[in-house]
Amino acid sequence: MSGTFLPLLVVLVLIAAFLRGDFALTLIYLVVGALAMGTWWCRRALGQVDAKRHFNTHAFLGEQIKIDLQVQNKGWLPVPWLELRETLPVALAGPHSFQTVTNLGPRAAAQFEYFVQARKRGYYPIGPLTLSTGDILGLSDSLLAHSQAEALIIYPKIIPFASARISSHSPQGTLRHSLPLFEDPTRVFGKRSYTSGDSLRRIDWKSSASTGRLQVKLFEPSIALETCVILNLNAEDYYYRSRMDSTELAIVIAASMSNWIVEKKQMVGMVVNGRDPLSAELMPQSIPARKGKRHLMRLLETLARVEVIDNSAFGSFIQKQRYQLAWGTTLIVITGSAGDELMDELYQARRRGQNPVLILAGRDSTEEAIRQRAAVFDIPVFSIATERDLTLWMQGSKRT
Amino acid sequence: MFRALSYVLVFLMMACIVLTIGNLIENVVPGWHSGLIAGALLFLVMDRLYTYRQLKSLTPLSAEWVIALGAQWILIVLVIRFLLSYANGLNAFIADLSLFVRGYLANFFSPEFVITFLLALMAWVLTAQFLDLLEEIGLDQELALREESAPIRSDMVPAHQRLVTLIFSVGIFLAIVTVLTRVNVTTILSNLSGLPDIEVRRFSGAEAGALLYFVFGLTLLSLSRLMSLQTHWNRLRIPISSHNLTRQWATYSLSFLLILAVAVSLLPAGDSLGLFSVLGTLVGFLTGILAFLAQLILALVLLLFSLPFLLFGNAPPFINRSAPLPPPTLPTQPVLPTETSAIWELIRSTLLWGALVVILVFAFIQFVRQHGGIRAALRNSRITNWLILAWQWLSRNADQTRASLSRAIGEGWRSIVSRLEGKGVLPGMDFISLRSLDPRRQIYFFYLAMVRRGGEQGMTREPAQTPSEYAAALEKALPSTTEDIDSITAAFVEARYSRQEVDPGKAELVRGAWGRIRRALQNRLKDERSANK
Repeated sequence: MSGTFLPLLVVLVLIAAFLRGDFALTLIYLVVGALAMGTWWCRRALGQVDAKRHFNTHAFLGEQIKIDLQVQNKGWLPVPWLELRETLPVALAGPHSFQTVTNLGPRAAAQFEYFVQARKRGYYPIGPLTLSTGDILGLSDSLLAHSQAEALIIYPKIIPFASARISSHSPQGTLRHSLPLFEDPTRVFGKRSYTSGDSLRRIDWKSSASTGRLQVKLFEPSIALETCVILNLNAEDYYYRSRMDSTELAIVIAASMSNWIVEKKQMVGMVVNGRDPLSAELMPQSIPARKGKRHLMRLLETLARVEVIDNSAFGSFIQKQRYQLAWGTTLIVITGSAGDELMDELYQARRRGQNPVLILAGRDSTEEAIRQRAAVFDIPVFSIATERDLTLWMQGSKRT
Repeated sequence: MFRALSYVLVFLMMACIVLTIGNLIENVVPGWHSGLIAGALLFLVMDRLYTYRQLKSLTPLSAEWVIALGAQWILIVLVIRFLLSYANGLNAFIADLSLFVRGYLANFFSPEFVITFLLALMAWVLTAQFLDLLEEIGLDQELALREESAPIRSDMVPAHQRLVTLIFSVGIFLAIVTVLTRVNVTTILSNLSGLPDIEVRRFSGAEAGALLYFVFGLTLLSLSRLMSLQTHWNRLRIPISSHNLTRQWATYSLSFLLILAVAVSLLPAGDSLGLFSVLGTLVGFLTGILAFLAQLILALVLLLFSLPFLLFGNAPPFINRSAPLPPPTLPTQPVLPTETSAIWELIRSTLLWGALVVILVFAFIQFVRQHGGIRAALRNSRITNWLILAWQWLSRNADQTRASLSRAIGEGWRSIVSRLEGKGVLPGMDFISLRSLDPRRQIYFFYLAMVRRGGEQGMTREPAQTPSEYAAALEKALPSTTEDIDSITAAFVEARYSRQEVDPGKAELVRGAWGRIRRALQNRLKDERSANK
């Protein structure tokens, strides 16, 4: 508001007092009325404006997301001008960020649409939308209102696996495995003649009757992939120069593994040593093992949101988590590097009957030393430096 | 269109200023030709509006600029002087002309002329200031959008704000001038001994000018606001998606000003000025001025043709035949009858003083808000600190009193209820008060509530099922609350089987999760019932 407004009022008040009313009072009414009415109109009109966005809140990498914005004036006061500016995160903002000016009559609505590109996985707030308007005379400052931001989740990249060379010690599983420890009695793949020592339960009486000799059934081997993906996003465990790429690669690996396991109709859970902006304690909630596409979406949502964390020791994190996991669970541990503490935890997990597998994401100079240490504890180690390596690993699995 | 409208509004505002000043001159120096002075000033304003852009295109202090401006002002000075002479009659005009020709320049600078010249200068500068600001706001898009100009200072006031300041500043000046037109200066000056007895007249005709000045000023502010916004949007390259923004703006502005005018005319203000009579006053004034100017131009043309006759000492044939040119007169307001009802006087006084108090408080608050230094100074002052401390003490005591009172009432009620329950008058209540439970037991409560409600809808927990197994079963039936079921289960397991302290915040989270699960269960029940129907 202008600095001469008060002096003008004071002069008019003095004149009104001196002349006992009349024209000075009329002028006071006019000037103050203009300011008061204008400000009231502006505030009230802005309070009646409602903005709603309609868009698909989940998207995969590379998709173009269309956002429909509907702005409605719910009141009877018109809005002479309304400036709309959408706040978009840097990762999604393109060259044409959404901003426009419109006016709304009484009970009128306006529709707009704009697009964002899903360039990077993450949890992004779309908005808030800033609405600004002002009085028609410009006597008071413009008013601002903000509509709530809405979340857009962009899932991480998923590289489809044909198979993965992951062993399991769980009995009564559902997938074939080349090095079986257990056999699945529901899967008969052949018969042979009875030899001394075979269990009587394996005798196939029908074929024995038809051949006249005792025949025993041969069962296929099996594994049960009740798996828990343990993803480490502690910054200190990744090589500092390629930290960003390595942690993103770790997330891609976790997403791809989870997708493969769910496709195989197996149960998979997840725990993440990272930061979840939506969680009250900022730590991602541990997701128990389940099956199904819906569960996979939940895993991908968590992976879309998680961020790197600092000073969160991975060894003690695993220690807290593995007590809650069942015997025989395969632990797919994805991290940047593995120190003694982690190795010890993985060994303890093996002793408890769990099946740890270590995947090193990104480049690490101590990889050879880690492999040697892991070999001592009989923990399989896979090193994936880039997404190309992940693809090759997948293809290598396919060939074998 | 913007340019034409803004020029018309500037002209009308200047006409109001001129009208008011004319009334002041008439009041202070009745012998002067106030109407003529007003007409000359208006003519000057029209000239300034017309020549503004041409003069602006010239480089200041360049030869062309000096010549153009100098020629213009020489002409203005001569026209004013000759008009003032002509106003005294043709003979006086001829006498003055002959004196000037012979070099008697002392008579050229009469007091009336000097004051008129200064007023002309003021009108010239003021008109230019209005136009400069309007150009900066957006009339000259090239100037308004110039990006290669000097960096914008952070303390620079926007052009629209400066226009508001200018309009209000001139308004203050007009208000004071209007008061002066009501004061009988002649009586004051004639009785200089002792304290002057100030006599205030009813109306002087300047009120209309002052009032209409503000009306046109507000209209100009509306127009300039639109221009400044459009400039701002153009500068930031913000597209305008509405096709009728300008038209709607005009409609809303006119409606707003009309409503404001009606509201103001209805409010009590003593002897009110009728809106239409005021407008009629201005229209009459402008018509008179324009008619005078037309006649003046005709008279000047006739004078040019008569000059050879005058030089040879013969009477010019054209001028003798025409009657002397009547100077324009300023309008006078009719005297309106006063209100005599006492009740109405009381209402009016109450409204008047109430409105004044509200205005003063509002203005003070706005002033303090705008000047952060004053606010800081007030905070540092002892009196303010004492007042703040006193207020805090009062509110603290009030809160404590309220809390004690509610506690005492609650305890009293509970003791009455327990006594009545003991005597069997009231049935015993076995509701659990959640607030009385610690966080661990609260989590038990919510988990067991989930199990109970789930059991009521066919998802009974088997005795052999672990919490995780039950959670998996429940999630199949309520897929939308998977995360909440997991979090409430995990919290229950931790509370039930661990010895560590349970955070109250966790209990709140579990409460929230239970709320969502309960709603999901209720929705499921409703869907089942509607499906069964």
